[in-house]
Amino acid sequence: MTIDRRRFLQLTGASLTAAFFAACDSQGPHAAQPLLRFAERRNETVERWLFRHTSMDRAPRGAALAGAAFPEYYISDDVPVWDEKTRGPWTLEIGGLVDRPLTLSHDDLLRLPRVTQRVNHYCVEGWTAVAEWTGTRVSEIAKLVGVHPDARYVDFASFDDDYHESWDLASAMHPQTLIAYGMDGKLLAPAHGAPARVHSPVKLGYKNTKYLVRVQFMAERNGGYWSDQGYEWYGGT
Amino acid sequence: MPMPEPRHHWIVRVTHWVNAFALTIMVASGLRIFDAYPAFARKGETFCCYPFAGKIIPVGLTFGGWLAGARNWHFAMMWLLALNGLVYLGFIYLHGEWRDLVPRRGQLRDAWEMARFYVFARPDHPRQGKHNALQRATYFALPLFGIAAVVSGIAIWKPVELGWLTSILGGYVWARYWHFLAMVALVVLSLAHVFMVFAVDPYALRAMTTGGYNRDRSPEARNARPFWWKRPPAAAPAALPPEAE
Repeated sequence: MTIDRRRFLQLTGASLTAAFFAACDSQGPHAAQPLLRFAERRNETVERWLFRHTSMDRAPRGAALAGAAFPEYYISDDVPVWDEKTRGPWTLEIGGLVDRPLTLSHDDLLRLPRVTQRVNHYCVEGWTAVAEWTGTRVSEIAKLVGVHPDARYVDFASFDDDYHESWDLASAMHPQTLIAYGMDGKLLAPAHGAPARVHSPVKLGYKNTKYLVRVQFMAERNGGYWSDQGYEWYGGT
Repeated sequence: MPMPEPRHHWIVRVTHWVNAFALTIMVASGLRIFDAYPAFARKGETFCCYPFAGKIIPVGLTFGGWLAGARNWHFAMMWLLALNGLVYLGFIYLHGEWRDLVPRRGQLRDAWEMARFYVFARPDHPRQGKHNALQRATYFALPLFGIAAVVSGIAIWKPVELGWLTSILGGYVWARYWHFLAMVALVVLSLAHVFMVFAVDPYALRAMTTGGYNRDRSPEARNARPFWWKRPPAAAPAALPPEAE
């Protein structure tokens, strides 16, 4: 079969249009995935280069506390609640590449140097919410346990199923990265990660593990609940 | 018929099609990201200026499959879009093509004449050079909205590390809104551009692909309005040479 120029152009136009509409709502060609992974790694390099311990987030002047409008996300079917009857008292384990592994009770945690900050919460979905978080700096806890020089990552693990997210050490040591136990002047509610959670404006919401039970300093990163499913591992703001 | 003459430099042609591809992916994946929170208000507040809050963009118009897929495409393709844009702008600056695009004296009057022509209020196509005033306005505005989209995009990508930039744009919520409006402007102008190419000057497709263009098929020569033009004239007989003295 021979085709003339007019027919060729018609066929080209038709197949381009078909390809265009077939692409809609899809994740794109499978072959592009390695390229996207590559771009994510390069983006991480740029983001780490932009990162400063002195870049502080501040809630916009006049911005209202989100309060009851602060979304309540968790991965279990119901709000995860630490049940003392079956699990014993809640503790926070800090371990991994450290000199003095530590187990903190809720009271121990509340006795550590306290920071209160009114900051944004940046959700990967595009919304932001302002809250006043009270807690202790991760960097404070790092001093207590004596982190080894070869530790480059930190994993924050949860009792909300197997939720966890690992961070680069620099972001975890940012002065606004807290192990928070209070929100808007009250003890943390179960919907927001009680008894304690990670909160920091320097990472997107999904990196801020709620229902925290373990902080692990590591030489290698170990992914995370959402990062393993395709969200950026770095997730920085 | 005269030989086609070169109309667009190959760098302009390549960057044009790369841009068409990258911008399409950026818009469609951006809409998918927007669908994860199709509103602008900070939680617990209201937002003045978006009447469609809560209504998602039909997924058929989006790309990426889900939020993470769309974000991965968006954050990869942004480099192609930005670098390609820099090559284009750098080239037209160094090579002089910017002179065909910046507004010049009489721009408004020329645009008015083009509008009159399109609504049949004037019979003949105004002669305004390579691009008429409406085209110049469009091709000048598109890179500006592109720059606005890139800058506001960086501001919502890094609202803490580049917090100064986000503040200049009025904070995260407003920066996200400017990013959205810049996208709307780019989409509207691009769709108008594509429509006019097919409706008025389909020969421009060839000019933008292989570079060749016949002046006697130009919209002026065909007196072309959208879907309303004369057949290109047959090759006219050559003019008589002046009489020998």
